Amino acid sequence: MPVRRRDVLKGGLAVGAVAGAAAGGWIGAGILGPQRRTPTGSLPVDRIVRTTCSPNCTGSCGQLAFVRDERIVKIQQAADYPDAAYNPRGCMKGLSYHLQVHGPDRILTPLVRTGDRGSGEFRPATWEEALDQIAGDLRRIGEEHGWDSIHVFGQVPGSGYVQKGANYRACALLGMSHGTSFDFNGDLPMGMPITFGVQNAEHEAKDWANSRFLLLVGANPVETRIPDVHFIWDAVERGARLVVVDPVFSGTAAKADAWLQPKPGTDAALALGLVRQILAHGAADEAFLRAYTDAPLLVRADTGRRLRERDLVEGIAADAPDRFVAWDPAREEPIIVGTERLGPPGGLATVALDGQVAVPRSGGAAIAARPSFGHVRDEVDRWTPERVEAVTGVPAASVVSLARAFAAEKPAAILMGGGANHWFHGDLTGRAFALLSAVTGNIGRSGGGYSVYVGQYRVRVDTSPWWSPGGTKAPVVPSIYFVRGRTPTMHPKVPYPAAGFKALVCTFANMFLQSPDVNRLHETLRGLELIVVVDHQMTDTVRWADVVLPATTWYEKTDLTATPLHPFLQLQQAAIAPVGESRSEVAIWREIVRRIDPALAAEWFDIDEDEAIRQILEAGGGPGGPTEGITLDHLRAGPVRLRVPDPDIPFLAQIRDLEPFPPRSLPAPLEATAAFVPTGRIEFYKEEARFLELGEQVPTHREPYDDGIHDPADWPLVLLSPHSKWRIHSTYSNNAWLAEIHGGRPTVLLHPDDAAARDIGDGDPIRVHNTRGSLEAWAHVSEAAGRGTATLPEGWWSRYFGAGKGVNELTSSEVNPIHEVHFVANMWSPSTGWKDCRCEVEKVGASVAAAAVPAGAAPPGGVDG
Amino acid sequence: MAEPVDPIAGLPEASRRYGEVGPHSNAPRWGMVVDQERCIGCWSCGVICKSENDVPLGMWWNRILTEGEALDTPTADHGRLEMHWLPLACQHCDNAPCVKVCPVGATYHGDGGLVLQDSERCIGCRYCMVACPYGVRTFNWGAPDRPTDFDTGMVPPRPVGTVEKCTMCVHRLADGQVPSCVWSCPAQARIFGDVADPESRVNQLVRDREGERLLEERGTEPKVWFLPPRRRRGL
Amino acid sequence: MRAGVAAGGRGTSLRHPNSALVAWLAFLGVVMIVGFGAWVYQTQQGLAVTAMRNTVMWGQYILFFMFFVGLSAGGLIVASSGRLFGASRMKPIVRLAVLEATIAITLAAAFLLPDIGRPERIWHLFRYPNLTSPLVWDIAIVSTYLAISLIYVWLYARADLARSGSRLALGTGTSPTTMEREHRAKGILAWIGLPAAVMLHSITAWIFGLQISRGFWYSAIMAPLFVSSALVSGLALVILLALAVRRAGRLSFGDDLVAWLGGLLGVFIAVEAFFVLAEMLTAAYPAAPFEGDPVYRLLFGQFAPFFWFEVVVGLGLPFVLLAVRRLRAQPRIVAAAAVIAIVGIYVHRLNIVLNGLSVSPVGLPPGVSIGTAPASGASSFAMAYWYVPSIVEWLIAAGILAGGAFLFTLAVRFLPLREEP
Repeated sequence: MPVRRRDVLKGGLAVGAVAGAAAGGWIGAGILGPQRRTPTGSLPVDRIVRTTCSPNCTGSCGQLAFVRDERIVKIQQAADYPDAAYNPRGCMKGLSYHLQVHGPDRILTPLVRTGDRGSGEFRPATWEEALDQIAGDLRRIGEEHGWDSIHVFGQVPGSGYVQKGANYRACALLGMSHGTSFDFNGDLPMGMPITFGVQNAEHEAKDWANSRFLLLVGANPVETRIPDVHFIWDAVERGARLVVVDPVFSGTAAKADAWLQPKPGTDAALALGLVRQILAHGAADEAFLRAYTDAPLLVRADTGRRLRERDLVEGIAADAPDRFVAWDPAREEPIIVGTERLGPPGGLATVALDGQVAVPRSGGAAIAARPSFGHVRDEVDRWTPERVEAVTGVPAASVVSLARAFAAEKPAAILMGGGANHWFHGDLTGRAFALLSAVTGNIGRSGGGYSVYVGQYRVRVDTSPWWSPGGTKAPVVPSIYFVRGRTPTMHPKVPYPAAGFKALVCTFANMFLQSPDVNRLHETLRGLELIVVVDHQMTDTVRWADVVLPATTWYEKTDLTATPLHPFLQLQQAAIAPVGESRSEVAIWREIVRRIDPALAAEWFDIDEDEAIRQILEAGGGPGGPTEGITLDHLRAGPVRLRVPDPDIPFLAQIRDLEPFPPRSLPAPLEATAAFVPTGRIEFYKEEARFLELGEQVPTHREPYDDGIHDPADWPLVLLSPHSKWRIHSTYSNNAWLAEIHGGRPTVLLHPDDAAARDIGDGDPIRVHNTRGSLEAWAHVSEAAGRGTATLPEGWWSRYFGAGKGVNELTSSEVNPIHEVHFVANMWSPSTGWKDCRCEVEKVGASVAAAAVPAGAAPPGGVDG
Repeated sequence: MAEPVDPIAGLPEASRRYGEVGPHSNAPRWGMVVDQERCIGCWSCGVICKSENDVPLGMWWNRILTEGEALDTPTADHGRLEMHWLPLACQHCDNAPCVKVCPVGATYHGDGGLVLQDSERCIGCRYCMVACPYGVRTFNWGAPDRPTDFDTGMVPPRPVGTVEKCTMCVHRLADGQVPSCVWSCPAQARIFGDVADPESRVNQLVRDREGERLLEERGTEPKVWFLPPRRRRGL
Repeated sequence: MRAGVAAGGRGTSLRHPNSALVAWLAFLGVVMIVGFGAWVYQTQQGLAVTAMRNTVMWGQYILFFMFFVGLSAGGLIVASSGRLFGASRMKPIVRLAVLEATIAITLAAAFLLPDIGRPERIWHLFRYPNLTSPLVWDIAIVSTYLAISLIYVWLYARADLARSGSRLALGTGTSPTTMEREHRAKGILAWIGLPAAVMLHSITAWIFGLQISRGFWYSAIMAPLFVSSALVSGLALVILLALAVRRAGRLSFGDDLVAWLGGLLGVFIAVEAFFVLAEMLTAAYPAAPFEGDPVYRLLFGQFAPFFWFEVVVGLGLPFVLLAVRRLRAQPRIVAAAAVIAIVGIYVHRLNIVLNGLSVSPVGLPPGVSIGTAPASGASSFAMAYWYVPSIVEWLIAAGILAGGAFLFTLAVRFLPLREEP
């Protein structure tokens, strides 16, 4: 390694010159004295830059980049949050990202495909050539098939408003269709818009510390919320109880006071069983139900729809807002319930929550109706502890004790994660746990609440001046329709391109590995005339591109970030010059748009990141706005807490100030999401026709959808593909330090009984398959696995498998029609059910096993999957 | 060419305050508490150690052991699955076996009771590695292998053929900053301080939480205490 | 004396270089050069070219170091006790034993050099000695011992050298006074040499036996055990060399001496077996697994083939061969027993060192970092490690062994081995 030695020498000389005797003690050779040298001081750097980490987690952890010779030599948490409880944040992945910034998989120049698609054969090209080719092809395709036939995919704009926003800006300007991520990632908890009318709303992580009881459902913060999990320990240290519900013994289960192990996909049944116990013991907070939910609102017996004032009284204008009806049992008369203010109907603490009533009507027969909550109670009552045990496998006694313990502690928080949400019927699970939180009156309380933590989505500032230039919005098409085409039940408002999709520009994403049902996506790709991938690493997706543009990493560009979990606005600042010839997305789109329409570019893209940030800050800077009083200079100095309550708790305005649901979900206008909950209340009863058709008007439990596609008798294992502790999706797959720890090859966690039945031993190469696809990986046999589960954490690049593209060969892209009842992109939109997936596992021949484990190395197994 | 910046003095004010060692006695003896209840086995401490100290591939000064069957894999104890993590680096023993056996005194007790290694004096006999009960010492077997093609970190690399290990980031302590593993623990499971001061947070925690030292029966007198995980309370 | 009786016709030819001798020395020379080349390669590449890693950080070099220390100590104990305890029948082989001890200790020291990572800093041992380190004690005793051995060799050769007018006699003559002084000096040296030899191997034992980090080693029996195994291997090698040199005609003694030495070796083996039994019983009786249970590994696990080889073949078989008077009367049988015993002692060393190191005391996964970059698909950590010496280690060992053979051949060629009456 002569180069390295020279570098060392050079570093040494520089240090000697600068730090003098102090550092020289470490370095200078000289004559050895009897005195030992005690090291003093650190080697100097050229600069330290405060910026943020920015992969697709919800972290946005503040980091310091230490730069020497234009290379990052250390990344460490800035630990400078004004709220000390948040320090230091950051995890081992972010701390090691410089290995990828300067790593062997980095793309340094534009590339043009020379071999077949997917062959990975490219030649380097100049920016001029690559941009000309892209602009030319896009213009041809746009003019021939319509601009919306060009699909621009970019992950999670919430984690970088400016660079990812450049995608939206370009789409708005040219009319290209933009993809979605929050729903596509399966992270959109459909129970939230259905129940609360919001995209999602969760307590900031700091508020976990205020809880007395933490019920974690399919959530594994020890492995997937590393920067925040300590807030749970703060609560536990103050005596809070921690209960974890997970079919697999996770790192979080290891910390729990109790761990319940349901069969995968049966969480809703557990929640309903808990609610039943609480209702049966009179422990329900009926005042909460009356004041904030649709529980007292009457539902017509004939139509199954809510009884409205206009059903009872003639002559109400057609465009007047709906008013609903409750029942006063004492006076035996209806109470009209408006939607402008919450509170118990008529201010009555006794308004009916159940019972069959006949509501008199002017000039007609009485209408038979029943309070919504009666319907809820009917469904809930079916979930006796014994039935819950039969369905979930959780012992009836545990259901009884958990219900008692949960109802006894206030505030009690429900933290739901991807494990419970990533199901075809994840919406029902969400609705059931929201119900549990509501019947115990925990919503809108510090330390309580029902929060779903999956994915980075939340737009916390007003991005409209940047994303929607001149008020023009990009047409947004859920990317699931890009993967599988339109569905018969697709909502008419979805702007699906008339000519279908003809081109793809993929940014910030490893889409061809990380889409559900990835083999189907690869079929779709055949119809594309152009695939452009913008990335900084040679990922699986890049290998399929026609033209590759080298992107800067987040350490080489400017952006603005804020996250759901910690409400700080932060600046991402370039620590080093772009590596190789890489460019930022803003710069790339500016050049592409300029080539297509110079005038448009001159008018709208002659703007730099700082100016974009200024405009965003200004737009939300009005009184009460999220960025009120925040300037770019503040952000340069460090993180600034957004103008939100402290702690940041959703629905405060509703619970405290009795404002109607929903609060606004940025960036959509309030009217768009208010249509999800027309009562202005928390809705446990849904009256839209499709809910009624499918029998899902109240929270219930449905068997996993894939059981109908893969008969459990033939496909006995549920394939779970959770987030890995070692990766953020597919990012960090190739991180050398992390691979040193976990062994760098995909393992599938199997229960010893399941393994033995298939003659599989720990470390054996195995094939995992179903009708959609197959892969080869290695078995990790442990009792940590639930019986009947196979767990392969998602995100491994395909090159680490024995065969196959990865776990998404097997996952499903089925769309739940309930998710198509309304349409607001990323808010009421098809959410992917990654874990709703069955498979079978078998041992493969020893040939794969030979894949080089050196003598003396750690035995296989016992590593991450 | 910009002026070189000292990585401690050049820290942003808020960051530097975060990392300050804090009050200590006049003759401090540096030690650490690791809270196993809070530790989540994320290896952030191990990774930042590797980064701070430019530790090549294959070598770790600081590793996180799993009290279980395998990495991140539980054991069944009377039918109940159990798993804890045990971060392990040099324990900076007062009665350090490595210091005793080093034939040339290259391993020695420095200021504050730290066990340090003089890479220029070490002859590479590896007797200290034999003597260390914690397996925290690592030898430079060959030319360093790094994922980057340049040196990283805040201290110079060590020569081939010598032994190296955790220094408690003595180069940071010199500037009044806690070791990097303490700084970077996202679970706030590491507490650094002066064990000579009875009122230090380290000593308070050891008293209140019945901190234990690893392989205490071997009499090595480590200066790292582990706070055991709490008892699980059930439903 | 039956001097010359056993001297074969070929033996005398050794006095005059012949083709066989030249070929033998040339062969050794080539092996030495190859070994040296391997060492140069190792110094360039680092110890990464050995199979040692952080998990098993000491390997064959240290094994051979211990082994040769044992051979050497055994040789000198044989030589010294011959004089001290009036075992005068040993007289014919005392010089040989001293020579063996000297060359063996030289080889032992030579094996330290490739083992250390920075051989150019070896002088640090003398510049910065740390007196609490058993390794420093060992360096001291090895140096002392080497000096004693050299004086021993010189004392025994002095008279002959003086007679032949060699300058190596350092001007001493063969007058009766001088001879008397020589005799007294030999006596004094024996009194020093015997404890030195015992200490030599005890200190080597203490390198391991004082380490509380390795429960398997941490035992008071280590020193006696090492001394007894030194006696076995040292005497066995002396017997073998004596027979070889007698065959070459450079030494003459009767078969009865061989039988007597064989009997003595049998006694030493019995003592060794007793210590091994005492050690293993103490370790195994509580049936308390510690540190990955090295006792289990030795009795039934990974090291079981080696351990049972040591017990059955290394100790049992030679003991039987030597215990039966009729068998030990045959030099061939004694020679065979000696070879087996030497191999047995080597395996015994291996069982102690490698088994003791194979598992880290904090036996939690994922184990200890290996020390070199892992291959793709493997982690950097290992719970256990199966050490097999690399080709470089074998070549270097072969080179050093060849050096020993070279020295011995030359010594036999040029030094008077017969004790003049």
